[in-house]
Amino acid sequence: MTARQRDITLCLLFSGLAALLPLVSDVRYTVTQTTFFFIWATVVVQWNLVFGIGGIFSLAQMALFAIGAYTTAMLGYYFGTSMILAMPIGALLAVLFSVALGLACLKLRGPYVALLTLCVAQVLYLTIVNDTDCFTNPPSGCMPLMGGVRGFSRFGDLGFRELLGSGFYVGRYYVGLAILTVAMIVSIIVIRSPMGLAFQALRDNPVYAAARGMDRFKYQLWIFGLSAFFTGLAGSFYAVNTGAVGPVVFSFSHLLFLLSMIIVGGVGTIWGPIVGALLLMFAEEAMRELGDMRDIGMGLILVVCVVLMPRGIVGLFEDLVRWRTARTAQAVPLPRRETV
Amino acid sequence: MDTILQILASGLTLGAMYAISTAGLALVFGAMNMLNMSHGAILALGGYLSYFAVGGMGLPAPVGVVFAVLVCAAVGVLIYQIVARPMLRSANFETRIFIATIGVGVILESIILETFGPQPKPQPVSMPGSLTLAGVHLPYQNLMILGIAMLLMAALGFALQKTRIGRAIRATAQNRDAAQLMGVPIGYVYALVLAISGGLAAVSGITISSLSSLLPNMGADPMLKAFIICVVAGLGSLPGSVMAALFIGVLEAIVQYVFGVRFSFALLLILVIIVLIGRPQGVFGRVQGVRL
Repeated sequence: MTARQRDITLCLLFSGLAALLPLVSDVRYTVTQTTFFFIWATVVVQWNLVFGIGGIFSLAQMALFAIGAYTTAMLGYYFGTSMILAMPIGALLAVLFSVALGLACLKLRGPYVALLTLCVAQVLYLTIVNDTDCFTNPPSGCMPLMGGVRGFSRFGDLGFRELLGSGFYVGRYYVGLAILTVAMIVSIIVIRSPMGLAFQALRDNPVYAAARGMDRFKYQLWIFGLSAFFTGLAGSFYAVNTGAVGPVVFSFSHLLFLLSMIIVGGVGTIWGPIVGALLLMFAEEAMRELGDMRDIGMGLILVVCVVLMPRGIVGLFEDLVRWRTARTAQAVPLPRRETV
Repeated sequence: MDTILQILASGLTLGAMYAISTAGLALVFGAMNMLNMSHGAILALGGYLSYFAVGGMGLPAPVGVVFAVLVCAAVGVLIYQIVARPMLRSANFETRIFIATIGVGVILESIILETFGPQPKPQPVSMPGSLTLAGVHLPYQNLMILGIAMLLMAALGFALQKTRIGRAIRATAQNRDAAQLMGVPIGYVYALVLAISGGLAAVSGITISSLSSLLPNMGADPMLKAFIICVVAGLGSLPGSVMAALFIGVLEAIVQYVFGVRFSFALLLILVIIVLIGRPQGVFGRVQGVRL
């Protein structure tokens, strides 16, 4: 079994286990929180492709997420589009936006990319929040084109309420799980493919990689587009799942929360983002009682992880395994097969 | 004519405030390739410390300012010792320090929020009254900000060009390894640069809050603007960033007058996006050869 097959099998196994949760637990809170975990995990798994594998420190992921969410909400609100159609449209718009962004930051490196993408996200946020001209005037009050400060609500549903009655949230749970599973499998395929190797080569020795005909341009656009699709889709699903979209999706604490997931789990590893998302969801749950102190806790987690374990928990684990195999290899000098 | 002069006057005041906070950021980036995302929180901390010292303890205003500057400089040194130093030699230092300082910023901001509460507070260090010159209304406060900014920038420029430690900072910025081989204590230089940056952030926080009011998240906008100015000027170029700060301040005043306040920030951000795409090294930045 190749590494890719092993990872995909593991992923399907975990998904299968997760699919059992609504059958075992009838606590609604657990199920809905896990649905949120699916959404955030999808975002960070795809962010990891850009940041960890591609080595491009883009902060635009929440903007892409917001584009997906806003497109879905606006299509539903203004045109009554069915959510099943609106979700992929939102994801595709995020792809278009992301490819344009990828073109824009092709020449930049390191922190300049972070600044550019942060600026783009901020422009989007400010245009939405500062727009106070009424586009329509429904009975509920003035509504700017992009929802202004209060955003959109009641724009549509996936129809689970009619289908499943009071258990509608279970339907959404499986939609979220399906999105995460597909996003995860795509991420594994990308990492364990020539594209993943190409990125590794471009990172480790750019000149040699370019001399061997690896086109940074092509790969960068691919990864921007691909990750934007799932990020946008996660945003669309977030809109449908919460039933409301507002400028809060742009908020800095959101960005911090997601960034911490990647850092804690392990940048550039296959399972790191998921592990990080899981841990931070639990951490947030534990710090729920603390109120404003929660942000201090999040900040501390981020700083400690960046300083002490740059490759996150998964990276630490991998190093440990490597160290142990190295030690046994020294103690017992047997011919050993090369494994990657 | 009067309107134009008035716009120019308020634009220069804005630019002067931006210059103070930008100089600190540019200095740190130039010396150690570190984008300090906690700069905004340190700025807010400076404003609140002066509020605490002058408004709360009843100390005279200059003492309050010095107190705020010293504490913020100490915070800068702490950030170096605890966060920056352990990862200084690592491969992805630029990205890692960026992320780590985001965390530091959030911690500082939350501490301010916990201590002083979310309501806006007035900044006690300010100068009432104003002067009308050739039909232009000039509050003393604005004149003082302009004066302080010019004084600080001149002092910083002199220190960097003429003093021994200034030479050490410039040498470290040019080539860390060579500087170290020549006996420059680079750890000391880094700590000092972050301390200067922290102190400048405190002054910037006090001046900005004296024109509006104190809020725990008041540093976010000035920090983003300082980054914009740094990028437009070319990260790490100090004289360039002071010029760019004044230019951006005047530009912002014009945009605010012509298009209205709510579009000014978005237009500035679009400007920086255009500059980054067209001239990634900034207007005053040198093209750096890629080191492999």
